[in-house]
Amino acid sequence: MINTNSIASSYSPPIKIVIKYMGTAVLAFVLLTFLQLLEYETITGHHFQPKILALTHIATLGWITMIIFGALFQLVPVVLEVKLFSEVLAEIQYWIYLIGAAGLVYGFWVFDSKNFIMPSAIVLNAAMLIFAFNMIMTFIRVKKWNITGYYLAAAVFYLIVTAVAGLLLSINLYTPYIKINHLQYLNLHAHIAFVGWVSFVVMGVTYKLIPMFTLSHKYSTKSALGAFVLINTGLLGISTAMHYENTTIFFYFFVILIAVGIFLFLYQVYMIFKNRVRRKLDVGLELSVAAFIFFGISTLTGLITGVGNLSDVRNLSLIYGYLIVFGYLSMLIIGQLHKILPFLRWYHKYSSKAGKENVPMLKDMYSEKVGYSILYLMLSGMAVLTISFILDIQIGVLIAFILFFTASILFMINMITVLRR
Amino acid sequence: MVTEELVRQKLKSVIDPEVGFNIVDMGLVYGIDIKDKKVIITMTLTTPGCPMHDSITEWAERVVKQLDPVMDVKINLVWEPQWTPDMMSNEIKELLGY
Repeated sequence: MINTNSIASSYSPPIKIVIKYMGTAVLAFVLLTFLQLLEYETITGHHFQPKILALTHIATLGWITMIIFGALFQLVPVVLEVKLFSEVLAEIQYWIYLIGAAGLVYGFWVFDSKNFIMPSAIVLNAAMLIFAFNMIMTFIRVKKWNITGYYLAAAVFYLIVTAVAGLLLSINLYTPYIKINHLQYLNLHAHIAFVGWVSFVVMGVTYKLIPMFTLSHKYSTKSALGAFVLINTGLLGISTAMHYENTTIFFYFFVILIAVGIFLFLYQVYMIFKNRVRRKLDVGLELSVAAFIFFGISTLTGLITGVGNLSDVRNLSLIYGYLIVFGYLSMLIIGQLHKILPFLRWYHKYSSKAGKENVPMLKDMYSEKVGYSILYLMLSGMAVLTISFILDIQIGVLIAFILFFTASILFMINMITVLRR
Repeated sequence: MVTEELVRQKLKSVIDPEVGFNIVDMGLVYGIDIKDKKVIITMTLTTPGCPMHDSITEWAERVVKQLDPVMDVKINLVWEPQWTPDMMSNEIKELLGY
């Protein structure tokens, strides 16, 4: 028998810093859906437009990455059974990161590379380096490595690659020096961000959280390892190939490797769900399942776009972007926050009261009805938006954006409900 | 007098807030030993690294301490044998559709 005196959650940083990151992210999501609603007329056609670049960075930096930072400060200690190296650094990083992200978004909005875009990229790089340092110093203390740990370590590496590539792009906007096409390099920056940074975190955390929530047992984890090898090879491959003007056959080879890797991950997720003990899924998990399906659809779209050289087809890159940002990542984050935030709140408010007085269950911490409304709004929004982009119906785009905005408000309300319980 | 059955009854009020079932019916309590004035509870959780770790163990300790006469309570958290869904009571298995 193995005795353990270690108390996993005593490794966790104070709820304050996690809530600060997550709260800012939720506000960023509301801002994102609001601004795109205001700017709906500009969001068609080519993706390289100031307003779209600004919105993309509210999504990636303000919403997605902000959430990931908060989630990792909470989850790394739990998953790897180690104390976070520095809470002070996490706090300092927050402010530097917030200034950098706000400056960059504003810089894109007014398209001022000299005064805003480039300086903000430097500030953001500083914030990312602080995060990476904090994580690496935490990783060093880990005694028992697991598959989640490998994914998270790789994700931190790709975050830095993404940030440096972003900085190089911002300098290129000011004084062009990159020999290959700016858009090709932007494409690489975006894919390293979405696959290397964001999706590696998603995958690593999924292997730990989904079995925990569904009580899954007795499944093989070979696919998780296979996905790790294939996606890393593919990412390092395109990072090399796409630095050349003529990306040759290697580009296709590595893109296919990444896609196969992602499908291996999705197969692993399917196996986890298939072997679950809790048959009925709650709204958080239903949102997550929808998100995983969108991950598959977006990967297929990306594969067809990349290999088929279809990036000039009208609105295709927009559809691809929305499938990733709204279909896959936003739905996943909304779903998972319906699991993580109630836990955090419960833990801090009710943990010490349990046994002395009646305490709520996690599912009672928010409104399930509101949760399902968010799910249906997001799903119908995605459907209306995709059709409207394909058929070029402007009013459809507007309707979809109203649906997304409503979803973001309901989401904020449900999260506030959790915090007020 | 504190008996194993009384302790077990008390532990049934400890509920995993995520799953919504008590730890006894979940099959998480492996053993209850009562020696002199001490209750030793050997238990596990559904997964190592579970963030509910200390919430649940402290909850268990708290409720058993409510027994009369008050006794020392020690929670012995173990990971072997590993918990499996087969350890759940038939009632829960049915409720979960397992």
